[in-house]
Amino acid sequence: MPEHQISMVLDLNKCLGCQTCTMACKKLWTDGDGMDYMYWNNVETRPGQGYPRNWDKIGGGFEDGKLRPSEIPGKEDYGQTFEYNYAERLFQGGLQTMPREEPRNTPNWDEDVGALTLGENYYFYLPRICNHCTNPACLEACPRKALYKRAEDGIVLVDQDRCEGYRYCVRACPYKKVYFNELLGKAQKCIFCYPRIEKSEATACAKQCPGRLRFIGFLDDPNSAVHKLVHVHRVALGLFPEKGTEPNVFYVPPFNPPRAGSYGKSVLEDSRMPMDYLKYLFGDEVVDVIRRLEGELRRAQNGGTSEVLQLLIGRDDGVRYQIPKHGKLIQIPGARKA
Amino acid sequence: MRRLGLILICSAAFAQGPLDPADAAWKSVAPVTLALYRTPPLYSTDTAAPLEIPSVQLQVLRSAGSTFVRLEWADKSRDSTTLPKAERAWQSERLVTQSEATGRFSDACAVMMPTKPVTGDVNPSLQMGDAGHPVRIYFWDSSRGAALMEATGRETTKRTGQTFPAQSQYAAGKWAVAMQLPDLPQGTPLALAVWNGSQQDRDGRKYFTIWHQPR
Repeated sequence: MPEHQISMVLDLNKCLGCQTCTMACKKLWTDGDGMDYMYWNNVETRPGQGYPRNWDKIGGGFEDGKLRPSEIPGKEDYGQTFEYNYAERLFQGGLQTMPREEPRNTPNWDEDVGALTLGENYYFYLPRICNHCTNPACLEACPRKALYKRAEDGIVLVDQDRCEGYRYCVRACPYKKVYFNELLGKAQKCIFCYPRIEKSEATACAKQCPGRLRFIGFLDDPNSAVHKLVHVHRVALGLFPEKGTEPNVFYVPPFNPPRAGSYGKSVLEDSRMPMDYLKYLFGDEVVDVIRRLEGELRRAQNGGTSEVLQLLIGRDDGVRYQIPKHGKLIQIPGARKA
Repeated sequence: MRRLGLILICSAAFAQGPLDPADAAWKSVAPVTLALYRTPPLYSTDTAAPLEIPSVQLQVLRSAGSTFVRLEWADKSRDSTTLPKAERAWQSERLVTQSEATGRFSDACAVMMPTKPVTGDVNPSLQMGDAGHPVRIYFWDSSRGAALMEATGRETTKRTGQTFPAQSQYAAGKWAVAMQLPDLPQGTPLALAVWNGSQQDRDGRKYFTIWHQPR
């Protein structure tokens, strides 16, 4: 168990699907050789196939405490990558800027398609990074012990010198957030921007987010927004809790209004977004979370104050991020085990 | 240009003699056929892999202060990739993109031997030696070439950073790999391993022989 656990909460009600986080991560970390298809941070439309395609259905994680690895997703599942042909188009008089081949799958293939409930459309965006799990299946699966969880902050990393590219971690991760760089023969993944975190700086995906939907802090820090949202107000949940990896990235579930004809009623009475779909993603507890969020909203609408809503507004960095500087040990006043 | 390159490579191979797996010198060395066994599946959800490669042929030739070994085995598919050179270069004008696949694995083989002379008739553990019996592994990968490794038991294998001369040939559904090893003392036991890329072999998922003492 790590000394402290870094964590992120994402309020899905604020995600615009603009992919600024995706690009911030891409430019900072996955702009190297053999990394073209990798999105350590991706934003996918839900309902939808996700990235890589059907990652949520193919397996991974634990069942009865045992690893249940999936097949390794293929290049087609990750979607095609291409480069714009600027050199030819701009300087050599060529006409073709886009690739000639028709793309058949991309990381956010079904953008804004959504689904219908009795004729009313719904969809939301799901930004995803590595969950830096408390019980990481990737780490459990690696025969070379190349993956490790940092003692000081619980960030899960791949030791690039020990990794031999066997891809057991890719198979084991239920979120498919470990990628294989064939050119280097190494597994690579989200590093929770640890060089930034060590300097009390938010991750690139969080820092660049125009929707200000990401909160970062230590789960065991009683003064952090993540602690309050996850443990005090209990309005944020991990993805697919039944996979048994105990993810440390949490989501405030999408709180769509009820269907048009039921204005003023509870979301749970005539939900536009089927609760079964939210239960599929976040487990049964999501119903209670929606109820709590609705209660907070009512309180604010009736002139009361809601610490939850004030937090979720996330006015500035000081509200959203509580990242103590890394010394030899991270000092968190009043910290208690999450 | 290509033709010239081929001639140069061939002449170099002839100069190195037995390092070319097709060299005439190997015709005079009687091969020993060693049975191959599969390692068990790693996960209970994985089905046992079929024994597609039942055996490997080993030839050993001592020449000019080196021990040359030649491994030959039948493999229906050639699983090998020519990978572009990746340089971890973030500054380059154009990135080297991922070539083809995320789920493919390469054919490979290895020769394992005790690092220290064996006393008595106790060989190191077949699972990469053990703490008291370290092993050296001459590993050849059809995509990434040769690498010398060391181990003192399962999960301890590490690259030494050294390489060694090795040449390969794939023809008529057979791999032949010749390796140039240091001069091995008489009686040094060898254990062989073969990885079949099309069966997703890598790591401990492989074919292996028991210890064999070449005469």
